[in-house]
Amino acid sequence: MTDRLAAREEILQRLRRVLSAGGPMFRGEPPAASAVESRMTVADVRDDSQSLADQFAASLEQALGSCELVESREAVADVVVRRIVAWAAELEAPTVDGTTVDVLSWAPGELPVPELEDRMRERDIRLFVPADLHEDQSRARAAASVIGLTSVNAAFASTGSVALVPGPGRSRAASLLPLRHMILVPMSRIYPTVEDWLRSLRQADRLRDLLQRSAQIVFVTGPSKSADIELILALGVHGPKVVHAVVFDDTNGG
Amino acid sequence: MHWAKDAAEAGRVIAKIADHHGVKHVVKSKSMVTEEIHLNDTLERRGIRVVETDLGEYIIQLAQEPPSHITAPVVHKRAEDISELFQRELGMHPTTDAVEMCAVARTALRGEFLDADMGISGCNFAIAETGTMCIVTNEGNGRLVTSMPRVYVAVAGIEKVVRAVDDAVLLWQAATRSATGQEATVYFSMSSGPRREGHADGPEVMHVVLLDNGRSRILERGYADVLLCIRCGACLNGCPVYREIGGHAYGPTAYSGPIGAVITPLLADDMAKARELPYASSLCGACRDVCPVKIDLPRLLLDLRCELAEAGGQPAFESGMAPLLERATLKAYAEISRGSRLYRGVSKVVGALSRLAAGGKGKDLNSLPPPLNAWTRTRAMPSLAVKSFRKRWSERERRTGKGDAE
Repeated sequence: MTDRLAAREEILQRLRRVLSAGGPMFRGEPPAASAVESRMTVADVRDDSQSLADQFAASLEQALGSCELVESREAVADVVVRRIVAWAAELEAPTVDGTTVDVLSWAPGELPVPELEDRMRERDIRLFVPADLHEDQSRARAAASVIGLTSVNAAFASTGSVALVPGPGRSRAASLLPLRHMILVPMSRIYPTVEDWLRSLRQADRLRDLLQRSAQIVFVTGPSKSADIELILALGVHGPKVVHAVVFDDTNGG
Repeated sequence: MHWAKDAAEAGRVIAKIADHHGVKHVVKSKSMVTEEIHLNDTLERRGIRVVETDLGEYIIQLAQEPPSHITAPVVHKRAEDISELFQRELGMHPTTDAVEMCAVARTALRGEFLDADMGISGCNFAIAETGTMCIVTNEGNGRLVTSMPRVYVAVAGIEKVVRAVDDAVLLWQAATRSATGQEATVYFSMSSGPRREGHADGPEVMHVVLLDNGRSRILERGYADVLLCIRCGACLNGCPVYREIGGHAYGPTAYSGPIGAVITPLLADDMAKARELPYASSLCGACRDVCPVKIDLPRLLLDLRCELAEAGGQPAFESGMAPLLERATLKAYAEISRGSRLYRGVSKVVGALSRLAAGGKGKDLNSLPPPLNAWTRTRAMPSLAVKSFRKRWSERERRTGKGDAE
């Protein structure tokens, strides 16, 4: 403990000494000081949810993800279940008991689509919502899952990114371990840019709280990528190889 | 939260954390700072298995080589070399397909992630207002390192601290565009501590090590600019010298290229150990032009050269204390260049002498008398042409009717 304090004191003392000496610290012209609150630039985008959704889809595709826009909220469950069944067949997903396929998922209550779990069960798809992934059995089960399903805290039209904040019933693993990741994006959560989201959180005085309260916030933009071998692009090096967003309109009461 | 004055102290702190939690197996995401403090050696000496998980770092760890680039550590290797390595070390079937090799590495490394009891990462930005450590990756290994093992340690140089979330996001975007030209990296993870009550995953314990290791001394010595670096690697990609010689030519350092030529001597306990590095630049300024945080690297390189010259008993030229011969030569050169008649005469004589010494026109001089022999020891000097440039130019001007050049 004393060692730790000694190092801290020594480093801080030297920094204080240099900083209190005054004079210019950097070679170039110092930039004008600005308040943190005004530092974010906000993109000039039309704010209606349909055009934001279109732009989000285009940006995600540019990041080599894929996206489909579903007209009505009622149709979402159908679209999702159909696609997951197709994925399971394509990937020859391992089954738990000969017929049932695990989908590593956020808890049904954290997914903004009602009745999804029942509709899945009809097609032999089971949502696996781990309680503790440091426990061997559920770790092994999560590791064997090839499909992940989550929603988002926010999505960003300019880059096709999504913000994921872990919590109870919202594992990090669901968006990370499986080869394919399906993301449910309600239009009301799409912001023009990351900055817009952060600024709105700061204005509501929720930004610090969110960062401190959540163990982690992660921005995800498309599938995992590497170009380490001869600069040839490979997808799915550690994270998912396929990232597919299902965007739907939740703004008209639907 | 830990503070470390130097590499040795950081190593001790992390080893102690590992001991405390009975750690046997560590997974790491790519981090230049842990490379800087040789953390892998420290942990491996204590019998801990350390696995690099960035694909490039994993490859060079298997090959037992240091990285050659800040963001693309294995850019010096061909697919064939990597294939051979994977066949030998991982029992891969023969292929040189990059995508297939990535899949093989994914399977091998996934096992490591699930099995490891400690994750170690560097840190791109540390946010002061919320106590948050940010890491930027494209592969996803950063997320796995910060999420799967029970213990997570983030190591950050003290210059990584930024004031607000907004600053971190801004710098993330700057680094992304300058490193790869993407709109956003695939992953940007901001970790503010261990998993909370009810969370299924995430570390149970999180430690942060703030490392000085010469950084406050850099500030003290007036090289604060270099601490602004966000490690995007743009100056390496833009540098004609780096592109020609590659990262390994910068010696046993974590940082190569123009930024490495400044940081490495500054971080060294004795600057003379890296004395060639500030000279490994033509000062063309390409690095300054591409730098997203506007570090004037050529200026800093010149300052370092000046310091080195003074430390080596060679006072700066401007101070009027330079060696007599050097001063006399440059004075004479200035005098000769100033008058066109004198210049013409001298260049005629020197040209004739050079051809005589080389043994005929168009031949090379393989050795010059001292003190110029140092130059010809490793190079050949072409003899001067019979017709000088000035003569050719004035003839050309006369031919095209543009008047006299002189």
